[in-house]
Amino acid sequence: MDRTNPQAPPDLYGRPQADPFMRRLTAFGDRYTPALGSRGLRRNPRLPAPRALPALVLVVTGHRPVAEDVVELRLADPSGGVLPGWQPGAHLRLTLPSGRERHYSLCGDPADRTSYRIAVRRLADGGGGSREIHDELHLGVRLTVRRPRNGFPFCGEQRLLLLAGGIGVTPLLPIAREAQRRGLDWHLVYAGRTLATMPFVEELRALAPERVTLLVGRIPSGAELLESARPGSAVYCCGPAPMLAAVQRALDESPAGTLHFERFAAAPITDGKPFTVQLGADGPTLDVPADRSALDVLREARPDLPYSCHQGFCGTCRLHVLSGTPEHRDRRLTSEERADGALLPCVSRAAEGDRLVLDI
Amino acid sequence: MPGTGSAPEVHDNLVLEPRDVRFDWSRLPLHWIPDEPFATHTINVLHLLLPEGERWFVRVFKEALPLITDEQLREEVLGFIGQEAIHAQAHEEVLEHLLAQGLDPRPYVRQLEWLFQRVLGERPGLSARARRENVIERVAFVAAIEHFTAFLGNWALNSPGLDRAQADPTMLDLLRWHGAEEVEHRSVAYDLMVHLDPGYLRRIRGMVVSGPLLVRLWVRGVRFLLAADPTLRGRVRPSWRAARAAALRGMLPDPVQSLRSGLRYLKPGYHPTQEGSSAQALSYLATSPAARAAVTR
Repeated sequence: MDRTNPQAPPDLYGRPQADPFMRRLTAFGDRYTPALGSRGLRRNPRLPAPRALPALVLVVTGHRPVAEDVVELRLADPSGGVLPGWQPGAHLRLTLPSGRERHYSLCGDPADRTSYRIAVRRLADGGGGSREIHDELHLGVRLTVRRPRNGFPFCGEQRLLLLAGGIGVTPLLPIAREAQRRGLDWHLVYAGRTLATMPFVEELRALAPERVTLLVGRIPSGAELLESARPGSAVYCCGPAPMLAAVQRALDESPAGTLHFERFAAAPITDGKPFTVQLGADGPTLDVPADRSALDVLREARPDLPYSCHQGFCGTCRLHVLSGTPEHRDRRLTSEERADGALLPCVSRAAEGDRLVLDI
Repeated sequence: MPGTGSAPEVHDNLVLEPRDVRFDWSRLPLHWIPDEPFATHTINVLHLLLPEGERWFVRVFKEALPLITDEQLREEVLGFIGQEAIHAQAHEEVLEHLLAQGLDPRPYVRQLEWLFQRVLGERPGLSARARRENVIERVAFVAAIEHFTAFLGNWALNSPGLDRAQADPTMLDLLRWHGAEEVEHRSVAYDLMVHLDPGYLRRIRGMVVSGPLLVRLWVRGVRFLLAADPTLRGRVRPSWRAARAAALRGMLPDPVQSLRSGLRYLKPGYHPTQEGSSAQALSYLATSPAARAAVTR
């Protein structure tokens, strides 16, 4: 659109004149916009400034094994205060003493406002967060914890099929409890390697033994997991990625039409090579390692950079490349936009050792 | 859609993320509610308004990002931005389909570009304070409009009349997916406005300016589409009476209820969570063919 053209756009019905309604709107905007900030058209300076809710500082009040390689952790306010409430499916983000950040589903009872309960499986080949929790989070250790957020909300459908794989049972436990409390028709299928590695089996059975099915010692197929689905069943699935994929593939063949699962935004980077990005023609140069996205690295330097999907489809993080040859990995930009220099740094990269100069 | 078991409850602290939905319009009939050109085009106004409007939301919220001091709110705003960007694109594709069927939406779209880019766009030469105030004022406009999008979204999720009329299933999925995301994120713009300016006057101004503007744009849009439809040749004329009649048959939201809903926004104790049900919206998102296909991409 031509921004310099002072004339409002033409009439909708082909008459050769500027549209009167558009002309009036334009005149209104031309007075309103510069007037904002004057008395009566501004934020009352006596009102309090925007505030951030502080993160929680919690103390470890319980640390006990609940299955092979699984510990249950209880976290409470150091002075015994009431904790922020949460709903089934919610998770916490812990900042461990080493600085590592990890997300864990809350698996306790939302009615208990004095402590949070999580359960953590030790991952031998993980990034070290679970080992730190198992070996170093003794009673009395203090942690910074973000308030509960919910990426797996429970919608209370009448007929429920809950599918748990291993430690993925954690968010489903409060969901099952809530379903039982509301008198809903629920069934939980819980798959695991061996019974000894599966936490909370007794707790689930105590809710309603006939509603819990265990599948032990083998990897069930999607069809097997969905076997007890009936028309109108809402499926809630939490488990390893291959299990979720199997359920997704099998869903169309099953009578269930609804699938809830927790979405994890950023897929791991495959086949990435290290490269560098430069912020503007005269700006600093930053290294992008093989296992991180350019967006992640850029956000450390520019925290206000917008982004959203982390997967290269929404286009929010779009930047302009001044020089360098990008390796586009998004599914949003057209070839014209790419030729014009557009780049989505949440997924797109460059060849090993190359440099992209970005217009920021 | 699956029934939800008990009274709608408020869902707190939802993690918001865009969904990568796609729709195939190649078989969409021009009157996608069969034999209901008036209702079809009244809803089609969405496809005219939303691409430009939601891209404007995205620009406003990107400008507001540096003003946000709360981490959770910032994350919600980022999720909102991504969802709105996808909405804009999805509706834009319907416009292309209308054009291919001989209904040229471009005169109206040109006016909206003018409105959202020139009249409501960023303006050079303002002082820092005026700039900041303009960002907050636009956030207040967005918050008021989001009240209506949540109202409409809630209607779309509860519109068996459209199913009875055998409306096109892909279009129904677009409307209900979009409507469900509007209900899902209905608090974000409001919470952002209150974060930046808790004053009651700001909220009222947001509605007083954008409410009537939205109604006016809608009425103009319906009139324009009915006139531009090559199969009607101006035979169907819009009227409030026709709108109420269509609403009674469940094809459109009731104009009087829409007005009442706008007035509720002015109540001192208002909060967007009082309208619509997150449980119903999230349950639809777990059912929607487009949203379900998005996860395997």
